[in-house]
Amino acid sequence: MTRGLYAALAVVVIGLALYPMEATGYGIRFMLQLFMWIALAQSWNLISGLTGYVSFGHVAFFGMGAYTAGILIAKLGWPWLVASLAGGIMAMVLALVIGWPCLRLKGPYFAISMLGLNEVLRVAVSYYEGLTGGGNGLSLPTLYASVQIYYVMGLLALGVTALAYVIITSRFGLRLMTIREDEVAAEAMGIDTFRYKVYAFLLSAVAPGIAGGLAARDQGYIEPISVFPLITTITMIVMALFGGQGTIWGPVLGAVALFTLQELVWARFPYIHPLLFGAIIVAVVLMMPRGILGVLQQKYNLPRTI
Amino acid sequence: MAPILEITGVVKRFGGVAAVNRVSLALEPGRIHGLIGPNGSGKTTLFNCITGVETRDEGEIQFKGHRIDGMRPHQVFHLGIGRTFQVIRVFPELTALENLMVVTTSSYAPARQRAVELLSFVKLERLAHEYAGNLSYGQQKLVEFVRVLMTDPELILLDEPAAGVNRTLLNELLDAVRALRDRGKTVLLVEHDMKVVMGLCETVFVLDHGEKLAEGAPGVIQSDERVIEAYFGR
Repeated sequence: MTRGLYAALAVVVIGLALYPMEATGYGIRFMLQLFMWIALAQSWNLISGLTGYVSFGHVAFFGMGAYTAGILIAKLGWPWLVASLAGGIMAMVLALVIGWPCLRLKGPYFAISMLGLNEVLRVAVSYYEGLTGGGNGLSLPTLYASVQIYYVMGLLALGVTALAYVIITSRFGLRLMTIREDEVAAEAMGIDTFRYKVYAFLLSAVAPGIAGGLAARDQGYIEPISVFPLITTITMIVMALFGGQGTIWGPVLGAVALFTLQELVWARFPYIHPLLFGAIIVAVVLMMPRGILGVLQQKYNLPRTI
Repeated sequence: MAPILEITGVVKRFGGVAAVNRVSLALEPGRIHGLIGPNGSGKTTLFNCITGVETRDEGEIQFKGHRIDGMRPHQVFHLGIGRTFQVIRVFPELTALENLMVVTTSSYAPARQRAVELLSFVKLERLAHEYAGNLSYGQQKLVEFVRVLMTDPELILLDEPAAGVNRTLLNELLDAVRALRDRGKTVLLVEHDMKVVMGLCETVFVLDHGEKLAEGAPGVIQSDERVIEAYFGR
């Protein structure tokens, strides 16, 4: 069964690699954003799905990457790919600086501190106008690179999912899960929980940073409210929860299902969109806290690779 | 012989209450020690101080001649002190095998082999791939017990190993503890079941209101006036 799944995956990847030859501009943009959501939901999964430390400010890393890349492109003329990778590195630096004190906090306090981090960054970016353009935003030089960005974003989504696979099938991943299951017992069983949390947090920050840089390049214009919105964090959380947090394919499933649904249906009813998202959170938490894949895994005793 | 664990004047306060009050005791290597006392006498708190879950306020704790007070739990564990908990703390969404596998830092194949051996030792090999949370209470207790043995610790702290375990299982557990002792391991166990304590332990420490009340062979402790008073009142 696992083999069949990965054969199907290979077909999908090849199909997506060939897709831009046939696609319309809208199709490219749709897929590019879908890749971005997979990368974001999967990254959130690495810290929160595995260790149970809910990051309510994960969009901070996205915004950090967007502004790092935006400034490097607009002010220093860096190539966008290098600038985006720099965005990923800066997001990791931010994760280290914020994670070092905050990952010592217990779950709910960590969640709140992360929420605060995002607000602080948004205000800071608005304030330092000289560097960031402040509330007026930052315009990047015009460039048509959607197809290239499509490929890079696709590789990013694939890369983070591969990373999730490697982690979840290793003892490193199991140790991260022991923190979620019972942190006191994990410590007592010789697991340096703080160090493991920091590692997971760093790994979870890099892809949102790169994605932020790519999104900045793709949109050509960034401003504080467009790259630090709380709704982005909530969306990635809902996607991961819906598909199944702590699993390899749950966040992918969640991102594909909810983003497609959003584009097909909710775009026609913009005011219902946040309402539906809220309803999904409530329904998932109440009826299947493990998400779709989590429920299936538990019910049919499936291996973690599915 | 030099004690393997030496506790000197340890105090742990919660607010104004001294849960552990100037307790001193020493564990002899290769022996089974019991720690008894009424509810709230400080037994689990003392366990927590030894393993670094709580930080003691005063006093010293030495393991094989090295200070361990102030260390974090994972550091204490890797020095060779393993423990179980009063309330079961297996990792429910990990399989029984994975529960054991996460503990050791040795490479994958030997770790897996040891985990399988230990599960067979308590006759759970059939359930190795079952989620620990799906196992029965007694089975979870066994998983927790063998999980501690993954790194072959020299000192094993057991917090109420007999509670909620049926007779057959209990006898197996007690045999396992004796087998550990025969291999030179040191054991300290908290237990309310006096039959277990008296039948298993070679030295017994009695705590009451956070203070050490008595210490000695089980027979001596059983007839100690102060101990009887602490348990049953005057």
